[in-house]
Amino acid sequence: MQIKGKAWTFGRNVNTDLIFPKIWFRPTYEPGEMASHLMVGIDEEFPRKVARGDIIVGGQNFGCGSSREEAAAAMKEAGVAAVVAPSFGRLFTRNAINVGLPIVTSPRIDEEIAQGDEIEIDLAQGTLRNLRSGYVVRLPPMAPESLKLIEDGGIANYTRRVLEERRRAMA
Amino acid sequence: MHAISKIIARHADRRGVEVGEIVNVVPDYVMLNDRGAARAADLLRKMGGERVFDPERVIVVFDHHYPPIRPQDSISQKKTREWIKEQGIAKFHAGEGIGHVIFPEKGYAFPGALIFGTDSHTVTNSALGCVATGMGHSDVASYLAIGYNWLKVPEVIRFDLYGGFRPGVYAKDIALRIAQLYGEDAAPYLGVEFAGPLVTSMPMSERLVLCNMVIDFGAKTGYIQPDETTARFLAERAPDRRWTAETTDSDRDYGRIVDLNVSEIDPLVAVPHDLSTVRSAADLNDVRIDEAIFGTCTGGRIDDFRVAAALMKGRKLAPHTRMMVNPGSRETFVQAMREGLIDIMVEAGATIGVPGCGPCSGCHQGMLAPAENAITNASRNFRGRFGSPDANAYVASSATVAASAIAGRIVSPAELLAQ
Repeated sequence: MQIKGKAWTFGRNVNTDLIFPKIWFRPTYEPGEMASHLMVGIDEEFPRKVARGDIIVGGQNFGCGSSREEAAAAMKEAGVAAVVAPSFGRLFTRNAINVGLPIVTSPRIDEEIAQGDEIEIDLAQGTLRNLRSGYVVRLPPMAPESLKLIEDGGIANYTRRVLEERRRAMA
Repeated sequence: MHAISKIIARHADRRGVEVGEIVNVVPDYVMLNDRGAARAADLLRKMGGERVFDPERVIVVFDHHYPPIRPQDSISQKKTREWIKEQGIAKFHAGEGIGHVIFPEKGYAFPGALIFGTDSHTVTNSALGCVATGMGHSDVASYLAIGYNWLKVPEVIRFDLYGGFRPGVYAKDIALRIAQLYGEDAAPYLGVEFAGPLVTSMPMSERLVLCNMVIDFGAKTGYIQPDETTARFLAERAPDRRWTAETTDSDRDYGRIVDLNVSEIDPLVAVPHDLSTVRSAADLNDVRIDEAIFGTCTGGRIDDFRVAAALMKGRKLAPHTRMMVNPGSRETFVQAMREGLIDIMVEAGATIGVPGCGPCSGCHQGMLAPAENAITNASRNFRGRFGSPDANAYVASSATVAASAIAGRIVSPAELLAQ
């Protein structure tokens, strides 16, 4: 899986209350609705600035706090190609994998990427390259199960397939 | 193997599992709160699932927005009530309190169990020696459809707590000390076990506070080895429940073991806007308090009310300070009334709200205005969590919150105890 995009950088301990503030919670969302609130706890203009294919780069413990899936789902919906940080909140990691959003962990990566840098990621090869600075780093291998969930487009597609298999077995 | 690994292995129908491995597990219980139930029901339909796989294992709790705040909450809760009826979900608790407070109360949390919930503070339950963790809505919807979830087996870090408590120091202060020493990502993806002589002597209420806070160190679950205190708690709460505690084989099953001398800890406060910036309460006397927010899944249990009422008895809130109290559960509320604790708090000038999440995460009454300062016994001081993003939230123990509400500024409860 190859990804190339422009970086948007954020700081340390960015919690999911900031990524998707609670005031925008709804029991069901119209297409594009979640994306229209992405990161507004930090930058109200962000939904208008971010473009499809961009990459979000966070500091340590990015996406900590609440379990809200909207934090990852809004990124996926906005077309964010990947999210990169030295470390992530556990629930954010899980939600990213489940919504099919590539999530990349690499030590001190926030120090190697500046706002607007062009970043290239190869998930299968396990490399990240900063095309502006020439910085290249090997990524820790992702669990094959997680990579497969991301490539399948997330847990919804996986669940549909399991349900279909069960229905076929019953028939 | 660590006990956490053994619990996961058993729920994966495996003899053993390795740290880092991803396995499919069948949880004992899955908690859906009001928002989680509405979202999961919607996502379940979108995934093509018609029936909940095993409604016996599903527990629905209305705690965040109960009673409904806005018309849209009423509509959503009405739909959820219809949905749980249609799906045959019988375990339903509306207005009985916060899921993480009522789970142990009602015996849904027990040693060796595996519990998932649509809320990050689901980890609270792990104080009973189980594995308990939060999940996203798609995760839970997938569970509802197919009856299992994927789970990565975590490495475990153990904090050995020894020494004694200084006056006015509680489990909450220990949690804040860990955040101060090791950061908000002290335990990313890890299991966090609390052990040592001090944990052995801790009542269940204080153990629940420790395990509640592990999510705010980044952990997947807490863990406390079940002992006599656990067994007594279960015998009282769920006498019919049959359970087996797992045990950890050796010290080699830990990624890290950390000694923590509790005797060195003062009453502590996490200052805005993150949990790892921690100061002594006694050093923050200049901080004016506009509102004290008391309750939540961290500090809304009966022991919190006992501690607060003892400090507030015969005293009044500072004239410029308001106090919002939401009992963690209906049971806590009733018990606090019986013991006269609610009378003491109301006479001091506190406002009592409904059992539930209260103003925490901006759910209910008690929101802050810009530039206002609040002190809370909740777990988080994130920007905007209690209303305005320009307000300031300070996180402390129940005792420090009650003492500061009386003083109208941040004070150490030791100061009030000495008077």
